[in-house]
Amino acid sequence: MMPELTKSVGVPRIAAIEHPFGLTLGLPQDAAHQLAVLRATLRALEEISQPGTVVHLPFEWEPKEKLNTYPPEAPPIARFLRRHPWYIPKFLNRTPPEISGRAAP
Amino acid sequence: MAKTVDSYRFLDGVTRRVMKHWATLGAPREIPWSPLAKPLSQCTVAIVSSAAVALKTDRPFDQEIEQRDPWFSDPSYRVLPRATTTGEVRLYHLHINTSFAQQDLNCVMPLELLRQLEAQGEIAHSAPSHYSYMGYTVRPEALLRHTVPGIVGRLRQEQADAVALVPV
Repeated sequence: MMPELTKSVGVPRIAAIEHPFGLTLGLPQDAAHQLAVLRATLRALEEISQPGTVVHLPFEWEPKEKLNTYPPEAPPIARFLRRHPWYIPKFLNRTPPEISGRAAP
Repeated sequence: MAKTVDSYRFLDGVTRRVMKHWATLGAPREIPWSPLAKPLSQCTVAIVSSAAVALKTDRPFDQEIEQRDPWFSDPSYRVLPRATTTGEVRLYHLHINTSFAQQDLNCVMPLELLRQLEAQGEIAHSAPSHYSYMGYTVRPEALLRHTVPGIVGRLRQEQADAVALVPV
């Protein structure tokens, strides 16, 4: 789903899919599409012979209707950073504050 | 023309900038590598999902951990038996719309589809157990020290040949 990020952390094999978050294999009850994605993923597993290879799966995401893929409420980190924007550089660099000194959420 | 997946297509502007920056932070290291020892049709396959899926009869993932410390989340994992169905689970991930997977678990953790592939001989077996953990954390130490070794130990015990780590 984010193959660039996944590859950066040294994953051995990646089957990349351009699907929204929460819909990795596809839409609910769309078994044909989900199965095709699963089969293609397992095929990539068999075929990849070089560590770190990314296989870009050929599936296009073109839903017939607009979907809301956001959670019902903003995640805690999003709410925290809105209230404490001076922590944004720490989030950007994945360096969380020390536990003893962290601001109360 | 061959497709190239856009890693950032479904992200808003701010999150996109963060994720693009995170992709530059990965520490280069030797990539762990185990060759696939046999054809897929002879393999036992397991799924690990980062969607924080748990059986309704199991202990829920503790969302309060992340509410209290937004840099952290419940680092535990849950076991999902191979025959687990949609109606038997709940999802606890706070960063996605979980309603799709609540309608059809195959959206994020295709256990039913894996059983189909087993029935058709495309894989030897869907593993007896599959696993799920909470994918969001900026403090991964507990996950790396305890959760991952726990899952790996069980995968080895059940002789899984291949594992698909399915993100959300």
